[in-house]
Amino acid sequence: MKYLGWDELLPGAILFSFDEEMEKDACEVLPENRPYAETNSHEAYVGDWRVLKPVYNRDLCIDCQFCWIYCPDVSIISRDKKMIGVDYDHCKGCGICVEVCPTNPKSLLMFEERIENETALAQWPEKE
Amino acid sequence: MSEMKKIKNLKEFSTSADRFEGANLLCPGCAHSIIVREILNATNDPLVLSASTGCLEVCTAVYPYTSWDASWIHIGFENSSTAIAGAEAMYKTLKRKGKLPASCEGKSPKFIAFGGDGATYDIGFQWISGCFERGHDMMYVCLDNEVYANTGGQRSSATPIGSSTTTSPAGRVSYGEKMNKKDMVQIMAAHGSPYVAQVAPNKWKDMIKKIQKGFATEGPVYINAMSACTTEWKFAPDDTIAISDLATDSLVFPLYEIENGTKLTITYRPKNKIPVRDYLGAQGRFKHLFKPEYEYLIDEWQKRVDDYWEYLQRREEAGV
Repeated sequence: MKYLGWDELLPGAILFSFDEEMEKDACEVLPENRPYAETNSHEAYVGDWRVLKPVYNRDLCIDCQFCWIYCPDVSIISRDKKMIGVDYDHCKGCGICVEVCPTNPKSLLMFEERIENETALAQWPEKE
Repeated sequence: MSEMKKIKNLKEFSTSADRFEGANLLCPGCAHSIIVREILNATNDPLVLSASTGCLEVCTAVYPYTSWDASWIHIGFENSSTAIAGAEAMYKTLKRKGKLPASCEGKSPKFIAFGGDGATYDIGFQWISGCFERGHDMMYVCLDNEVYANTGGQRSSATPIGSSTTTSPAGRVSYGEKMNKKDMVQIMAAHGSPYVAQVAPNKWKDMIKKIQKGFATEGPVYINAMSACTTEWKFAPDDTIAISDLATDSLVFPLYEIENGTKLTITYRPKNKIPVRDYLGAQGRFKHLFKPEYEYLIDEWQKRVDDYWEYLQRREEAGV
């Protein structure tokens, strides 16, 4: 993307969320089907803000969707009432999803960035 | 009026496609985006949004990005309310003259203005008051984090007593903020607004119900949303929901609504009322209150919260 200097910009600015006009309102189109413009923050990356990352364990999840509603960064991906994963491009690693997870042991846990998800799943704690 | 979105439970709600995007620059664990997501997902109608200068605005519209998948405008600190009121007035006029484009046929857009507590309680107060007096069909949402968080944590008139901020620091000679919080909900109710409510993001069901009620109401609606601020309230980012729970269960933020300026209804009664001390103790901004010389302030806090709860209950009973 070409960035303009402060003296090249006109006062006031319009940014477009999508590259083309959608027939339906965005609320009826799932993110994977949206024609995102490069000026949409969906295209940006904040994954490097994280110190710890949430790892998701499908086997323990009861699909209560607490993590979905309380995620501040739209990073919990839920489709057809099922939680399917974490969007690591937009997750800032705040850890709210882990705090609100009601299962025992939790189906989301924070691990260090460098640990592979498979390794993390292998060291999942037992039920207390 | 188009049909209201049906939200029976959280599973059903989770099929919503968000119109708010990630990779905004709000702090990790910020309650602002939780509130915004709950509000935007409460409807399937087209949205016309505005935001006052504040955390939400500067973090969701950082050049060259926008985090909004709906029409959104930012003008100044004070006038998110008037910007949206202008858009609403124009929409109404075009509709009356039959000049709306065909794509708007059969739709009922929702006009929502967002503002922080600085923009609502202090800087934009006169503008909001004007909008409510003129009776625009809009919703004003105050994201109340009780401090000017965007500029480094200065006190606002929403900052509660005893809170340590950068312009009311606690130390040897002061216990921090000395003024009590302005009761904005009652002020907006006194405008004769058809619907005014206080909400908290942790009580999502209560919140969605109130937001949808607000959408269904014709006229100016005021929503005061408690937004726990991890940076300025000084707690760990993963505790946002826990702190919000403490706030609603200790009744520091009672959840209630007022219809037509008078009819008050309490919408959430905690099963186990938590002492205010627990709420204060969980946050760094009240840390100094636990020193022996300032401990009397905690008792005053408790009394103030109890008195206010008593007042709300009396108002509810009397139905006035």
